[in-house]
Amino acid sequence: MNGNKETISQERKSPFINTAIKRLKALYTKGSASGQILSLGIVVLIFTVGTSGRYLAISNIRTILGLVGIPMIICLAMHLVIIMGAMDLSVEGVVAIAAVSSGMLIHNSRTMIDVGIWILPIVIIIGGIAGMINGLINTKWRMPSFITTLGISWVLFGLAVMISGGSSIRLLDVRFQQVIMGNFLGIPFLFIIALLVAGVLYILQHKTKLGKHMYAIGGNETLAKQAGVKVDRVKIMIFTITGMIYGIAGLLLVARLNTAQARLGNNLLFPAMTAIAVGGVSLSGGIGGVFNAILGTLIVVALNNGLVLMQVNPYAQSAVNGIVLISAVAMTIDRKKIGIIK
Amino acid sequence: MMQQVAEKKKPVIELKNIFKKFPGVTALKGFDLTIYEKEIMGLVGENGAGKSTLMKILTGNYQPDGGSYLIGGKPETVTDSLDAIRKGVGMVFQEGCTIPNLTVAENIFICHEEEFKQFGMVSEKAMQKAAREMLQLYDIDIDPGVLCNKLSPAELQMVEVTRLLWLSKFYNHDNPVLILDEPTTVLLEKDVKKLFNILNEIKKHATIVLISHRLEEIVEHSDRIVVLKDGDYVTEMMQKDAEISNIEKLMVGRGLATEHYRESEQKVPEDDVVLEVKNLALEGFFDPISFTLRKGEILALVGLIGSGKEELCRCIGGSLRATKGSVSVEGKPVAIQSPYSSIRHNIGYIPIDRRVEGLATDMDIAENINMLVYPRLKAKGLLNSRKEKENAEYWIKEGKVKATSIRMKCVNLSGGNQQKVILAKWLSADSQILLLDHPTRGIDVGAKDEIYHRIRELAKEGKSMIIMCDTLEEDIGLSNRMLIMKDGKLVREAECPVENKPTPLDLIDSIV
Repeated sequence: MNGNKETISQERKSPFINTAIKRLKALYTKGSASGQILSLGIVVLIFTVGTSGRYLAISNIRTILGLVGIPMIICLAMHLVIIMGAMDLSVEGVVAIAAVSSGMLIHNSRTMIDVGIWILPIVIIIGGIAGMINGLINTKWRMPSFITTLGISWVLFGLAVMISGGSSIRLLDVRFQQVIMGNFLGIPFLFIIALLVAGVLYILQHKTKLGKHMYAIGGNETLAKQAGVKVDRVKIMIFTITGMIYGIAGLLLVARLNTAQARLGNNLLFPAMTAIAVGGVSLSGGIGGVFNAILGTLIVVALNNGLVLMQVNPYAQSAVNGIVLISAVAMTIDRKKIGIIK
Repeated sequence: MMQQVAEKKKPVIELKNIFKKFPGVTALKGFDLTIYEKEIMGLVGENGAGKSTLMKILTGNYQPDGGSYLIGGKPETVTDSLDAIRKGVGMVFQEGCTIPNLTVAENIFICHEEEFKQFGMVSEKAMQKAAREMLQLYDIDIDPGVLCNKLSPAELQMVEVTRLLWLSKFYNHDNPVLILDEPTTVLLEKDVKKLFNILNEIKKHATIVLISHRLEEIVEHSDRIVVLKDGDYVTEMMQKDAEISNIEKLMVGRGLATEHYRESEQKVPEDDVVLEVKNLALEGFFDPISFTLRKGEILALVGLIGSGKEELCRCIGGSLRATKGSVSVEGKPVAIQSPYSSIRHNIGYIPIDRRVEGLATDMDIAENINMLVYPRLKAKGLLNSRKEKENAEYWIKEGKVKATSIRMKCVNLSGGNQQKVILAKWLSADSQILLLDHPTRGIDVGAKDEIYHRIRELAKEGKSMIIMCDTLEEDIGLSNRMLIMKDGKLVREAECPVENKPTPLDLIDSIV
């Protein structure tokens, strides 16, 4: 219905200004992160004032970066599926099974097995298989992805509890923890790993066919299919990649605590969803990217850290998170309308 | 002489004796068509003449049930639209089929990103460079780095055309065939001119098949015009022999005089005014408009997309809220703020998309018919199943809905029967004024006639109707009177008595 208005407003004044405006708009939409940078700034400002500067102390910044690592990796993994217009809620289950497997396979208090660093490819494969199952059920049986992944999450969590016998497994090999909790030039190693993952995914998104097709599916699946995109294959691959990264996150969680248990995966889904929405990734697909995921996680973690520093009641903190999620989604839905529906 | 001109050119596509059947209807009946290189071929026909089926066969979306499809002299089976493109046949849809969140370059080269690899990675720069070159070749001023949701419909079409041209070059076709389906419907005047300039440029090494309802355009720009009627090839003519009135006669075949819209059942409306619209306006869509609707009258609202007629209809139906003006029903002013208020004033709205707005398709016929009258079907404060059944059965019979049971799910009904259920729902709610938004859209020819008959019956019973039809012919045929809208204004009122119906040609000036 806006057709008319739109075409009229597109009558342009001068070609130079036009291209300039077009460029700026493209830049804004491609990055679409200006609002997020602003929000991060506001969060930092409020807490810096609120804690009379303690918030911005080097030690606290390091704490935040350390805390942000694993949620950021999870958020990065999940946002791939969301860009595709689908949903992946399997994180808690995949992390649980990856964590328990790590506990059983690295030198530990329960089994006699010790695969050492080979655990990394193993958790990647475990996560990948879980993701692939998500993708296969979603595409081949044509099941809504949020149901599929939620179901798989509970299946995997159950398996993890069963394998671990419901109790925690202590690692005897402390080298994992030492490496993970270390620094590089003062920057927490966990954060660096997250940035590495982000770098790889950036290349995936912007420099590969798979990445382009992922956006195409998120933009309009029917048209993408018509243009020849192998929709099912792309979906399965993206679900698999997401699962692989969840697997890595599971291993990192175990390494950080030096203990493995099925419950390690609990309460990971909600913050990741919040971060994705806050970061400006459209939950209806097609819009957003690595930068949005990074900024989203930074905002959420910075916010929570600030609340802790200001000694806000922990129950109130979770309420704050809920409010942030809803307002962020309200905003991204709005942005989506501006971006696509016109 | 016609033959001579045609013979100079080499045929690119030949369709021989193509058959296509759908349940209940034969869309193409042994159709023959030859498309030559380097020409613009206009394809005209009424709605339902088989144009879209033909296009879908050409682009591989449908497989013919019989006959052969030759490309460059070789028989081919085209499996899907991508396969068609590989074989040199591409289609541009009205609104384009670009993906909104990708850039122009990404859209042009979708599925061929691998051609732009540098060091094993797809390079956006290389893609944009190639896209810019392609666009400049045809003098199209679009920045390849811009997202497609920022482009106008005209620009989207150009992106789509560029994509097809690049693909045909990529697959080494020296004379690709581009099919444009109603390309000008969504364009502004100046964009139309530009489009045809570009098409004439492209024609130097491609064939263009142009489908359009606007015959002037077809006659002006096509080298050759092919006329379709009822799934069959009628005739073809070269541009210089083409005359709009002649083509029209060929398209309709039977001539306009004969009975097609149950004209003999048309009656003169009574004098009582049932609906009076005074200075009704919706900002940005239509300017203040006043008209009246009499008892038993069929009033057609005519105009192009964007003329404001759809919005006007929705303002009366309550799904849009007018910004100014008033509506009176049977002399009493009423405030129409929502569909609920229009229902209360006995105005029924039969929407264009029955499956989305008209019917709860997963519910059964009885539930749909009773939807508006549940308060009436109560006994002792609770819904009474016997009353429900009676009401549904009565209206199914009255509306001649063909169904095996009142509990049949509406999703399983044919388009014509679905429409009858919707009508029954409103009639059951005692609607006196019916707004029919494209009542025969997507309905078979036979079922259309039944709907026409039903509309006539309702008029006889004293129901008043405002209709918007798929074709101008249908508007003229069905209505007692027509209101022609253009750019949000009421530009003309035309009487359509049975004995003296205007022809489309008489009206087209006011519409376009």
